[in-house]
Amino acid sequence: MKVKPFLLFLALCAVLGACRKPEANDLYEVNQVALYPSIADKNKMKTQEQYVSILHTNLFQTALSGSELVQIIDCLESIGDKELGREVLISNFMNKPGVILPSDSLMRADPEVFVMQTYERFFVRRPSEAEKTWFIEFIEANPSLSAELVYFAFALSNEYLYY
Amino acid sequence: MNRRNFIRNASLATAGAFGVPYILPSGRLFASTGEQMAPHVVYVLFAGGVRQQESVLQRYLDDSQGMPFAGNIMYNMFNGDSPENKIVYGTDQGNGSAGGTPIPRILSQTLESQGLLFREVRAGSAGHYGGLNNLLQGSTVTTQGLKQKPLNPTIFEYLRRHGGYPASKIWFIGNGIGNSIPLLNYSNHPNYGSRYGANFFAPSITFGNLGFEHLSNARIYHPENELDPMYQMKYFLDQSFSSVGEGGDSLGNTEEEKLSIKEFMRDMYERVTLNAVALPPVTDNTDSLSIGFACEVMKWFKPALTVVNLSGVDGCHSDFTGYLRSLHRADHAVGHLWNYIQTQIPEMAGNTILIASPECGRNLNPNPIKDINDWYGYDHSDANSGRVFTIMAGPNVPSNLGIGSEGNPIGLTSDNVPTIGQILGVKNEIMNAGFLAPGTTSLFDRI
Repeated sequence: MKVKPFLLFLALCAVLGACRKPEANDLYEVNQVALYPSIADKNKMKTQEQYVSILHTNLFQTALSGSELVQIIDCLESIGDKELGREVLISNFMNKPGVILPSDSLMRADPEVFVMQTYERFFVRRPSEAEKTWFIEFIEANPSLSAELVYFAFALSNEYLYY
Repeated sequence: MNRRNFIRNASLATAGAFGVPYILPSGRLFASTGEQMAPHVVYVLFAGGVRQQESVLQRYLDDSQGMPFAGNIMYNMFNGDSPENKIVYGTDQGNGSAGGTPIPRILSQTLESQGLLFREVRAGSAGHYGGLNNLLQGSTVTTQGLKQKPLNPTIFEYLRRHGGYPASKIWFIGNGIGNSIPLLNYSNHPNYGSRYGANFFAPSITFGNLGFEHLSNARIYHPENELDPMYQMKYFLDQSFSSVGEGGDSLGNTEEEKLSIKEFMRDMYERVTLNAVALPPVTDNTDSLSIGFACEVMKWFKPALTVVNLSGVDGCHSDFTGYLRSLHRADHAVGHLWNYIQTQIPEMAGNTILIASPECGRNLNPNPIKDINDWYGYDHSDANSGRVFTIMAGPNVPSNLGIGSEGNPIGLTSDNVPTIGQILGVKNEIMNAGFLAPGTTSLFDRI
């Protein structure tokens, strides 16, 4: 007969114990994402929704609202050349307030780090030596090249359509 | 090298330069060998399920609502007097009754008298989707699902692959992005596909509120100083990835073509803001928007093929009055389109052929749904839905010629594909590709 109240007491303790105010030192983090070991591991194409969401997150470091995502997908549907549609969308994003881009001086201060970080940001992998060398030389050979244009090229690339 | 050798070598080199085949942008080795009848075609997919009774047969209310009032409400396209009573298809201003003022005709001479009318044509489908596929593929694929890319090549792909037309010369203007409309600009056929597809806009979206919100504020980059290095980087990245995958959905617009399309879009946003788009005089339905932007596309790109889809009359399921109004406006829109080509686009005036066909008809008998005038609506599923017309006008098209009659059907809607092929010089390639519906041939072969 006395088992039931005891169980109730235990359940109450468990609930009260679980409810506590967050401590100031609590830390919330996103999961670490493992880099792709090689380019060949990307074999699935992103949906348009995935592409637009990830692009927005990469450029603004915030998530796109659901309604905006639907609207943008409709806009892309209304353009026959999807690559052209993506190009127009990226250039609109680049013109919006809130876009977060590295400065050109940062890119030129250490092109190797910039190239490594850009590959990791957009392609979730490290560049091969050949890729890294090509980009560093391209940046150094084009003094007027901006970090924005490098980001644009990565966002428009075929590899960015895959995961 | 003496003078004689130099002249001989120079002559050989010159002859060789002309003799070596060019690789066209489409990847085709030679341009088509067929002779063109005209360099431009405008193809109107007209306009969402049209009964013969209210169009070619000009029976107005006489063969639909049991009211003895006949007449022609499509007087830009067909010869014939308009109805004298129960006028509901016009605009509301004027005499005060709803729709009581017919829209003034635009063309001084009807398309029928300017050209060739196939009065009774068999549609390949009683539905919109099958009908549109039939008009664009020239085939009837029963396994074709909704929201699916065409299974067989479209007229766009035939022209680009076999005629060598660049992407910016082949256009499809849709009435929206609903159903499968934005999917129809190219097929999934492995020998054709996106690289031979048509450029497409759905103006109500691209240049409507959504387009303004998300596409109109594009950053403008300098073509040489900024876009060129950006493309160089993209091509390098694509090359690295080429062994794994590719974009798969590019139409093959060149950098110059892309630049031109982006400039066109910027121009359109300005024109919309200034209320300066080449819309028809009466603009109270979506079809007028599609036609207006089709005019703008033609003026900018001078395409070899412009296809525009109208769909306003489909309200007939539940609103017969609205159907009559939309039919009248679709005729008005086509009149505006033809007039605009002849008066505002010098490069296309006098050398463009227009073709218009409904994708399907409508039922013989009404459904039970009544509209505000107590008139019954019409669906599309019976044999009467397979009855449509095809009208053509332009250079090398016989004028004032009617073919077939209500009791003597001649022609198929699938014929339009090899007909366009014949006009633009690739008929044989289309006929030999092996994808057309049985019995399909150019309409010029049926005269």
